[in-house]
Amino acid sequence: MLLTILWLVQDLLTVFIGGGMQIPGLFMLGLVYKLLIDEGSEDSLWAIWSAFAGGILWDLRWVGIPGFFTLGYVGVVLIVIQVWGLIPPQGRVSGTGLLVFALLELSQLLPPMLPILILGSLGGTTGLGFMLIQQAYSLPAILICMYVYLRHIRNVKV
Amino acid sequence: MDNFTQPRNTTREWVHGLTALILGLFLLGVSSGLGVMKSIVDIWGSLLSIPEYPAVIMREMYLGWRSNSIGRDKLNEELARLRNENAKLRMENARLGGGAGLLSEDTGGRRARVTLRAPMSWWSEIRIDRGEQDNVVQGMPVFSRGWLVGRVSSVSPMSSWAELITSASLMIPAVIEETRELGVVAGDGTGAVLLRYIPVGRGVRAGMKVSTAMVGEQLPPGLPIGQIAGEYTSGADGYSTYRIEPGADMSGFYTVSY
Repeated sequence: MLLTILWLVQDLLTVFIGGGMQIPGLFMLGLVYKLLIDEGSEDSLWAIWSAFAGGILWDLRWVGIPGFFTLGYVGVVLIVIQVWGLIPPQGRVSGTGLLVFALLELSQLLPPMLPILILGSLGGTTGLGFMLIQQAYSLPAILICMYVYLRHIRNVKV
Repeated sequence: MDNFTQPRNTTREWVHGLTALILGLFLLGVSSGLGVMKSIVDIWGSLLSIPEYPAVIMREMYLGWRSNSIGRDKLNEELARLRNENAKLRMENARLGGGAGLLSEDTGGRRARVTLRAPMSWWSEIRIDRGEQDNVVQGMPVFSRGWLVGRVSSVSPMSSWAELITSASLMIPAVIEETRELGVVAGDGTGAVLLRYIPVGRGVRAGMKVSTAMVGEQLPPGLPIGQIAGEYTSGADGYSTYRIEPGADMSGFYTVSY
């Protein structure tokens, strides 16, 4: 439910901004956050297929061809599962903040990078310029997400 | 304690993840050539237009507020409206004279939002949020700030697709206003707009205005396209090709009028 709302908010913000700036990938931030705090599930298949569905729907809405963001979203989830799985649950404390930041940043970096790598550029915007702008706009959202995560960890430990 | 010594088995995740990746690659590979994908994109866009409506309204309100607070923007909009009105009158004139007859009723000067500009066909086409219900007709010219940017290529009840002047497949008969030389405007598919088939040595210079010509029945005459930017090639067959600087910003428009 949370992911659906985040996807929709991301879509509405993109409509509202109308191309004037890049919108942070709220859906992927939410998905990675849920993966990071999820310690009860046996596996994370829900995350893989949520990423797949979210990516396809985003592609159909904003790219016109399914596949670009689908691959990026699923790729991010696989990397997060693999990296996060290497750390035992007892080791996931506030000291892992840098790693959490890196994983959240990855969720913003990889999906928009794929279309640029495949197509070379997005319209009149060069790939590098697009990436820099995207990352600059995503940074506040990443930091907020990281803050929420650290608070969650602290509460759990207490 | 087991969690420390036993790393989590992620085999199932990898199997599902790789399946999803292969499925994504398959979709990417096959869907770009499928005509049905456009219909699916349109249906999904139409469904989303309902929850997106508040965002559209808020955007309109914001743009209205901004243009009211900035006098120059207001003047530019007025200029664009007058250009549209001028274009509409020219179309009506052409229709009455047995010309194109592209519009069945008055729809000139209405604004439409660009709802999709796919990266793979960036310079070829756009989708707008107006369709049959808004009296959009196939063949209609589409403008940005009063400059021609394309032509409606297909119409659905709630949305339409327009082919851009930067597309290599849209060919528009055009005239250089200062010399009355006729040629064909076509894109190269990578962002450039060219004016082809102008006889060599006709005194064409940079800065001369280019507009649609009264040739054929595609578009009415006199719709402003842009100006000559310079010679592109001079062929051995006696004809030159000129680069056109479109009046509209072809990479940065988010709304159009029709």
